Amino acid sequence: MNKNKQEYIVAVAGQPNSGKSTVFNMLTGARQFVANYPGVTVEKRIGIYSYQGQKIKLVDLPGTYSLTSYSLEERVARNFLINENPDLVLNIADASNLERHLVLTVQLLEMGMPLVVALNMMDISKGRGFEIDEESLAKELGVPVVPTIAQKGRGKEELRQAILKGCLGKDKYKNSLVVDYGQKIEQILDELTQNIANDNRYSNYNPRWLAIKLLAGDTEVRSMFHQ
Amino acid sequence: MSKNKAFYLNQLKPGQKCKLVDVNIGGATGQRLTDMGFIPGVEIEVLRNAPLVDPVELKIRGYNVSIRHSDAKYIEVNIL
Repeated sequence: MNKNKQEYIVAVAGQPNSGKSTVFNMLTGARQFVANYPGVTVEKRIGIYSYQGQKIKLVDLPGTYSLTSYSLEERVARNFLINENPDLVLNIADASNLERHLVLTVQLLEMGMPLVVALNMMDISKGRGFEIDEESLAKELGVPVVPTIAQKGRGKEELRQAILKGCLGKDKYKNSLVVDYGQKIEQILDELTQNIANDNRYSNYNPRWLAIKLLAGDTEVRSMFHQ
Repeated sequence: MSKNKAFYLNQLKPGQKCKLVDVNIGGATGQRLTDMGFIPGVEIEVLRNAPLVDPVELKIRGYNVSIRHSDAKYIEVNIL
């Protein structure tokens, strides 16, 4: 793919009800257009904005709870991430319901995606009595975490800044979170990961992620290996 | 796991609380439940049934979710 860095592509991922669309609208304003993902009737929203002279193209992924291959939306989101190789993934998480929303975050990290997390609905979260230590969360996840209240336009500037930094590869965090699945599984994972890493047919993929999906019995990944 | 008395989530009445033991279904439904936080050990409160009984609204991990009774019957729990 011809990628002159005239514009950076940022995929926007989030679970249903994370405020993904609100954040999307906050960032891009009215400059949006709608298409379909090729071959499937899943709406693809694209928005473009300019920040500090840099063009950023946001692609809205379907809202999904995770990234397995069970539903069409999940497959669409996952395939976009793998095949289009966006410069950055913006993960929207509902701060008032963080535990559930971090499931997707961890899956994105497992895929090896460069990530910026927007902690949305901070006002509701506070109203419910949650206090979130964003610094620690960012350290733990190994990616920048930006608190936002998209409905009120809060955090727009900070988020745009974090996105640009992420696209330019200038943020100070390094994706570092690795889920430890326990000794027995890790042993098998290690072996699988090695084998996959040594096979250049799979060089598009994060080897550990493929190994995890293989073990989990993901039908799409499995069929890939049958071929 | 004690087999003497297994309860399933669809048997609980509104107001009852339970702890999840196991999700006895795989595939897309099992995956979706797992994604939404239905993992062994988690506490679930049954809030209410919809007017026509189905679905049932639950509180889990600090948020509310409604699921079908036909899915709830696969969720094995200990009543608290």
